[in-house]
Amino acid sequence: METAQENRPDDSGTAPQEALTPVMLELIDVSHSYHARRSNFEHGVHRVLDKVSFKLHRGQTLGVIGGNGAGKTTLLRLMAGILAPSSGEIRRAPGARCSLLTLGLGFQPQLTGRDNARLSALLQGASRQEATDCLEAIKEFSELGPSFDEPVKTYSQGMRARLGFSTALQTRVDVLLIDEVLSVGDRSFRQKAAKAMSERIRGEQTVVLVSHSEGQIAEVCDRAVWIDGGSLRCFGDTKEVLAAYQG
Amino acid sequence: MTLRRFWILVDELARMSLRADASRFYFGYIWWILEPLLYVGVFYFVFEFLLESRRADFLAFLMCGKLTFVWFSKSVVQASRSIVASKGLISKIDLPKALFPLASVQEGFYRQLSVFALLMVFLVVNGYPMQDGWLWMLPVMLVNYLMIVGASLAGACLVCLVFDFSLLISLAMIFLLFTSGIFWDVRALPDPVMAEWVVVLNPLAFIIDAYRQVLMLGQVPDLLHLFVLGLVSAGWCALMLLIMRRSSQFLALRAITA
Repeated sequence: METAQENRPDDSGTAPQEALTPVMLELIDVSHSYHARRSNFEHGVHRVLDKVSFKLHRGQTLGVIGGNGAGKTTLLRLMAGILAPSSGEIRRAPGARCSLLTLGLGFQPQLTGRDNARLSALLQGASRQEATDCLEAIKEFSELGPSFDEPVKTYSQGMRARLGFSTALQTRVDVLLIDEVLSVGDRSFRQKAAKAMSERIRGEQTVVLVSHSEGQIAEVCDRAVWIDGGSLRCFGDTKEVLAAYQG
Repeated sequence: MTLRRFWILVDELARMSLRADASRFYFGYIWWILEPLLYVGVFYFVFEFLLESRRADFLAFLMCGKLTFVWFSKSVVQASRSIVASKGLISKIDLPKALFPLASVQEGFYRQLSVFALLMVFLVVNGYPMQDGWLWMLPVMLVNYLMIVGASLAGACLVCLVFDFSLLISLAMIFLLFTSGIFWDVRALPDPVMAEWVVVLNPLAFIIDAYRQVLMLGQVPDLLHLFVLGLVSAGWCALMLLIMRRSSQFLALRAITA
């Protein structure tokens, strides 16, 4: 297990067999802050992440834990290339595509479930034909039935979760960044979703998973990182990081 | 992202938005025609009945001006808010930010095609001959489109940086409504020097006058002016696309934290 101080990119502490697989994503002293508006004419610097460094190898599943507002979602956005770090560097394997999956947020509420699913596929690089082809699979997995052709704004939280997860399952990217995908929806769908995601994660897929469920992290992740108040508290083997987090 | 892929996304986003918009309203697609006609109706009532315009051809004159102006103003206002309005998507995936204003402009363009068709039918019914000269509409529409794209890209960036700009852009449209010769004729201004300056300084006044020259009089518009305006607009669009490409993640941060 590494502490934040020891965690330098050259000394990532990976097990020998992991060192053989290429690095997919590497964060070097990544900090992120922005100017947030408090009230009229008043601005303050909001520091979200402070000098975070770690490496992610191909095929690994990394769990990200930490309290609310710790900077987990921002970390995912930085890894996905949506935001640029204020300082530090994020290195990706050449040509690696990273995509962030969140529930509900990415939907255009006025569009139907079908259009949103299609849009999601297109935005992630599918051709028109591929996007059309995956729609039936999404409709079936989501169990939305006729609601699939109604605007997403009429959906309940659970229905959005179903659509979001089913769409996410179709994504084919090199690094899958998942933000709390499995924590919503009703019981039966949650089990089905967890099973499908576990199958996906156990394959060759490189995954970063943000979750509040420590059980889930322990079950599916082989590495974990604990973010606290924007700083990296702990990075390494899942069991050891979870032990530190719970202790 | 290749240009072809980018264009497919623009087109798909525009079509989806049109479908969603049509399903939101009781009259659906009929609003494409109805809304611009109502605009014309309001102006016609004020200027023909209340202010007693002396032009015999005032309705055709007004329609040529108003229907093309609404294309510009609605597109720019809507596109300006498009990046901020899409922050859900922007917070999820790294996309070229120009995608959103361009999709919004494209949506307006598809609508406008039906409006132009309506305008031409109206003119023919009212005794304006359909002639080969109407083909000059194509370059005029192209330059008009480039002007809309240029203004929309700039507007979308400004609103993304400081949301207050959305109010100023709406105000600017009201200013343009009065200064672009929609219900008055640029060529009828008492001072010819002033008329010259109006069309030079306000490209929209030139474009609206060009539509009238082509559609009502069957004349060739001022081609040099049109060419220069097209060139400047295209250059401006290229510059804005470059700026947006360079500042993509910064715009994302502004949109997400807005």
